[in-house]
Amino acid sequence: MSFPAHITVLYFAAASTTLGITDELVPIPEKGLYLSQLTELLIERHSQSSLNALRKILDSSQWSIDAEMVDDEDLTKVELKDGMEVAVICPVSGG
Amino acid sequence: MLPPGSSVEGVVELSGAVCSISYALDTVESTIKRVSDDRFGAIATFIGTTRNSFQGKAVTKLEYQAYTKLALKTMTQIIVDARNRSPDFRAVVQHRIGVVGVGEPSIVIAVASPHRNEAFRTCEFILEEVKRKAQIWKREYYEGKDESEAEWKSNV
Repeated sequence: MSFPAHITVLYFAAASTTLGITDELVPIPEKGLYLSQLTELLIERHSQSSLNALRKILDSSQWSIDAEMVDDEDLTKVELKDGMEVAVICPVSGG
Repeated sequence: MLPPGSSVEGVVELSGAVCSISYALDTVESTIKRVSDDRFGAIATFIGTTRNSFQGKAVTKLEYQAYTKLALKTMTQIIVDARNRSPDFRAVVQHRIGVVGVGEPSIVIAVASPHRNEAFRTCEFILEEVKRKAQIWKREYYEGKDESEAEWKSNV
């Protein structure tokens, strides 16, 4: 099955250090994939990495789409679409 | 490893406030000048600096990354929220990205208000909100340890 749509996923901090990358283009189905399902998709894509570490990081992270934070309770309601910029927002430590 | 492509410099100017993310900070003097206003009698400033230790481990440096376009949006909203609590102030909030050595400043906040009470409180409010919400991350490097063992911190 080929996916015609793509999202850009941005990684920062611990997520980027664990994966060794800061961003990637991820193929997704044109419809029917929700933000709440992205963690599993990313873990499948990176099955050669340290899965426990990646899962732990993704489970403790929040998400943003096109530079807007998504509330945790809305993850199952937000459908991923072609061209979206999705960022993994690990617990922050500014200031 | 190179920093994320989205961890770049950026500035947002609002009415009476400037928020920025940059590799170097302006001098405290120039920041104070920017918020100064003859109507206001109090200027409160906060400067965060890199400490030389954490839980007994010697720290050699900190490194900061930001998802800049979102962090600046968040900082903008923090200023808006601060104005809802206390409308009359001028503020500058500057956060560094990149390497910040021991003793060096990573964040500068300056707030000018009519009186000292609001200046202190608004400055503290902005700092605590930035620490809680801004999409900025800090990595702590330790003496005698490989760079790969540097730890990403969490404010939670």
